[in-house]
Amino acid sequence: MEDMKKEMGNTIFVKPGMSPKEIVTAVRSLPGVCFTSVGMRDAGQSDFKNRHRIYDLKTLAPYYNNMGLFSAECHGGARWHVGIMNRRESPVEEIALLRESMPDVLLQTLIRETNLFGYRPYPKNIIEHVVANVDIDVWRCFSFLNDVRNMRSVAEVVLKRGRLFEPAISFTSAQWTTNDYYLSIVRDIVDLCSGTDEIVLCIKDMAGVGDIRRIGSLVDAIKQKYPDLVMHYHRHITDGLAMPALLSAARAGAKIFDVEEDSLVRFYGHSPILSVQAYFEESGIPVNLVRDEAEKAVQQVRRWIGDYEWAESPFKGFDHTVTRHRMPGGAFPSSFEQAEKGAFLHLMPSILKVMSLYNRIVKYFDVTPGSQITWVTCSGIVNRYAKERGDAGVRHVIDLLRRFVEEKTQDLASMTEAEQQELLSLFRNAPGDFKHLLLGNYGRLPMGWPEEWVYRSTFGAEWEKKMSERKELSPLDSLENEDIDKARRELAEHIGRAPTEEEFILYLMHPKDALSMIGFREKFGAAPLVLPTDVWRYGLRKAGDRVDFELWGKPYTIELVSVGAEHEGVIHVVMLVNNKTRVYSVDTPRAKKVEMRMAKGPADIGAPISGNIWRIGNPERGALRVGDIVHKGEEIANMEAMKMENAIIVPFDGQIAEVCVKLNDTVLEGQLIFVLDKVQIKDQISAESIELP
Amino acid sequence: MNERTIKKVLVANRGVPAVRIMHTCRDRRIPTCAVYSTPDRLAHHVFMADTAVHIGEAPPVESYLNMDRIIDAALRSDSDAVHPGWGFLAENHVFAQKVVEAGLVWIGPSPEVIKIMGDKIEAKAIALKAHVPTIPGISSVTDIDQIRKWMKEEQVSFPVMIKASAGGGGKGMLKVERDDQLGQALAQVRSEAKKSFGDENVLVEKYIERGRHIEVQIVADSQGSVLHLYERECTLQRRNQKIIEEAPSPSLDDGLRQEICYTATRLMREIGYTTAGTVEFIFDALTKKFYFLEVNTRLQVEHGITELITGLDIVGIMLDVAMGRPLPFKQSDIHPNRWALEVRLNAEDPKNFSPSFGKITRLQAPMGPGVRVASGVYEGADIPPYYDSLFMLLMTAGADREDAIRAMDRSLSRNLRIEGVKTLAPLLLSIIRHPSFISGEFSTRFIEEHMDSLISMFRDESSEDEALKVARYVAEISALGPQAWM
Repeated sequence: MEDMKKEMGNTIFVKPGMSPKEIVTAVRSLPGVCFTSVGMRDAGQSDFKNRHRIYDLKTLAPYYNNMGLFSAECHGGARWHVGIMNRRESPVEEIALLRESMPDVLLQTLIRETNLFGYRPYPKNIIEHVVANVDIDVWRCFSFLNDVRNMRSVAEVVLKRGRLFEPAISFTSAQWTTNDYYLSIVRDIVDLCSGTDEIVLCIKDMAGVGDIRRIGSLVDAIKQKYPDLVMHYHRHITDGLAMPALLSAARAGAKIFDVEEDSLVRFYGHSPILSVQAYFEESGIPVNLVRDEAEKAVQQVRRWIGDYEWAESPFKGFDHTVTRHRMPGGAFPSSFEQAEKGAFLHLMPSILKVMSLYNRIVKYFDVTPGSQITWVTCSGIVNRYAKERGDAGVRHVIDLLRRFVEEKTQDLASMTEAEQQELLSLFRNAPGDFKHLLLGNYGRLPMGWPEEWVYRSTFGAEWEKKMSERKELSPLDSLENEDIDKARRELAEHIGRAPTEEEFILYLMHPKDALSMIGFREKFGAAPLVLPTDVWRYGLRKAGDRVDFELWGKPYTIELVSVGAEHEGVIHVVMLVNNKTRVYSVDTPRAKKVEMRMAKGPADIGAPISGNIWRIGNPERGALRVGDIVHKGEEIANMEAMKMENAIIVPFDGQIAEVCVKLNDTVLEGQLIFVLDKVQIKDQISAESIELP
Repeated sequence: MNERTIKKVLVANRGVPAVRIMHTCRDRRIPTCAVYSTPDRLAHHVFMADTAVHIGEAPPVESYLNMDRIIDAALRSDSDAVHPGWGFLAENHVFAQKVVEAGLVWIGPSPEVIKIMGDKIEAKAIALKAHVPTIPGISSVTDIDQIRKWMKEEQVSFPVMIKASAGGGGKGMLKVERDDQLGQALAQVRSEAKKSFGDENVLVEKYIERGRHIEVQIVADSQGSVLHLYERECTLQRRNQKIIEEAPSPSLDDGLRQEICYTATRLMREIGYTTAGTVEFIFDALTKKFYFLEVNTRLQVEHGITELITGLDIVGIMLDVAMGRPLPFKQSDIHPNRWALEVRLNAEDPKNFSPSFGKITRLQAPMGPGVRVASGVYEGADIPPYYDSLFMLLMTAGADREDAIRAMDRSLSRNLRIEGVKTLAPLLLSIIRHPSFISGEFSTRFIEEHMDSLISMFRDESSEDEALKVARYVAEISALGPQAWM
């Protein structure tokens, strides 16, 4: 028991509340290495389409709390957006839940430098607002262009809050990504962060392409130049060579490694925690980990991972060709999901091939948003050729690109006239984000701008003008601040009440999906948080099935009694909710939509209350009809509800264009009663005034 | 008057009042007959009664205002007495007269008294004669110039109140703030008066700003005994309809209480009033003056709180008086020893009072110490759009005001559950929690003045509501299976 305590005392070496400097010092003084568990974020993103629900993930928290991790990555990346869109969970409430159940663990996020948790570059004031309002201890921040200038705003706010900033260098293997290139990036980072004492440097190998010697050499080169810099290696396993690469980095001096529960490991995520620990220890590198707790977490995953089989990638197995096409682990499942939905799954091998050629023409790093730009651009090209010319067309474009890139070393003049013309229209249908990239809206490209012909191919006749507009500044310096209060008012207007800070942040990142999520939660409350995953996905399947949960400290049970047959688009579901019978009418997609028109535009006159229309017109003029001219302040109809009369008054002079109800109709509040026409009356007056003289 | 018996009472009403009257009849083992319109076929009052008669279609004029049908129903059902409840025909002297002429016992004041007091102008004249203070006003108004002239002569300034002479219960009255609203308002009151009361006569009065509405409950027998059962405060109103009442009034000290109660008793004695009735006053809290408003010649909605503080059964007293019996107590026997509060649960949107009709899918009425519930509905019942939105009265009583408020808070916030229609419950809870209500500082404009802060106090979440949202989700997915958005 004493020994156990002692071991635990030594093992938990960092905690929330410690200053960045204290954390860095604690990592430096470890005899060996330590782990970040990505079980709550990147594991799910890489192999399970980010569908792992906090309901299940939080069961790992008690083990994490005693495990001696450096941190738990549980936030950021695409988990954010998928949470809002698909799981209907807010990243803010996830963090609050985890704080409560693992108070001793540093919570880590993954954030894009100017895109944050969204998909567009944000101005400085929005970046500052969002970063200042998210309760995260370790901020891993990357730029898909390795444009360190872009990290300044996030860095400033994180440092000001006394949280740990972890700048990442995006890593890939290519001829141009030399140690010297990376050392220049690290130098920029160290300059930005005023030294190496308050940061951890991450090497982000998001595709899993760093070969074993290459990564050891890079870590060593950085270590030579910055001996005190703590390095964190993030390496996907797609190529099948992750564990030896981890060891190579550890031997060269990296201190922190990303791992996940063995039972979560598939093909595109990270290495298994227990195996890495054993491998390192056997190789003479001590690992700071309470093995027993890690084993329990691995076991815990097995209790729920079966509920996510449906979310796994249809392409199973390692893929060493990733070293050429470089699709990052995080993008793999979502790309396959899109290919499946778009019915072009069979084109995937061709798309991956085109990607491997494309990334030698336009050079940046295949990580969000770069990976999406690559994916949309390349899958677009392949799909276009497939549609227009079938399989032969796909083979043709691959061959064209291969010869251009590999044989002619991208010398346009050496291609035939016809081939030149074809290349000059290759990017004509490229997505808007590709164009933004070429115009410098994301920042500088790491190896300079693409060749002139790429601009001609993308922008056609306008190419020279577009090239002259290209920005050299960081978006932080070129984007105007946006009106935050206006955005808040906009949201308040949408939802009809003042939003919480949490809702507002969701809205700033993903306006449309945030609104849909807020609507969902207003209708279905805490369902995403309290229901077990099989019930969340399939409901209760047969009579007598029940689900127990707790809400606000009280127990609830829902038991299915029966699901009726569909009748005219409606299914009746009978359930017992805490022993009380309830009948729910559920509209199926075939439900008849009873169309009720509501007053929306300024010319629409709606019912001020629900009630009965007992008079159309007024006692003075009698009934009113289409075409009648009415005047501001005049009563045009009268409603009765619960024995009270309510006059409907014309808000402006106009002509009745439509009467949308019949006498004695029962109408609902806001229902359209009249459409007025403002223009017609003006015309009439002007016509009269012309005749007058 | 000779004593007579009542063998069966036809209750010419629906909902809360009908059920309330049937309760006392049941206590007395007097059988009852209900009447119902087509949409009320399965209504609560129909099944509370011993027998029931269909009297017509949904519109009130065809059913609950249809005098001949109702009298016919009484005769056919072997009823020998009619209790009108409140609303509908309760203050209609023609109906009272027809009931008497049909040889039935009318459980209420005489048709003559109803007629006189039903005419606001005549009632005011009688009050003046009895030296009861009245509000400056003008009667028989047909055009707005009359109003303007009177305002100039009497130096009355806006706002003023336009009322149907035959009106009552907050219907057919409108407050006018500005001269340019006069025309529209006058036309509306006249039209409503005609539709609701069949009489388009209106009167205009000075509007007492920040007035309080205080009324005195009177009971009188045919032997000439006229007693009061103390006052009720009914200041909290929305659109001139009361929504919270209490007894005693927190606005009065003992001196004023004696004065107002004796003034009311004096007036009712002057009239020769019998059975239960109410004298309404508007009380100016600044000047400590009260003015006569009107006499309600019927059982009031809020009679229950007087029953709670006095321990008496007012409907029982009405039955006794109708049977010619003398009141079994003297004024000195009446000792209120409780504080009681009543809230009206209307089926309305608490944010804008727009009516909310439909099926009550879930009804859980509060229980527990100090609570009295008068319900006109049951779980599964429909609230049709044709009638008043009141469907339940909730009353609490305690040793003092604080006690009564506490019990009301508990009833509204923990014990009450109504689904399927919107109710005023959130607003009522906000009001009784409002510091101004708790300190007794309010006027008839309290709700309009504080609406925004009252709405902001609405508790929009309870764990049970949240659990039902989860259940709705489970129902949908159980019926439809996994969804594309997942």
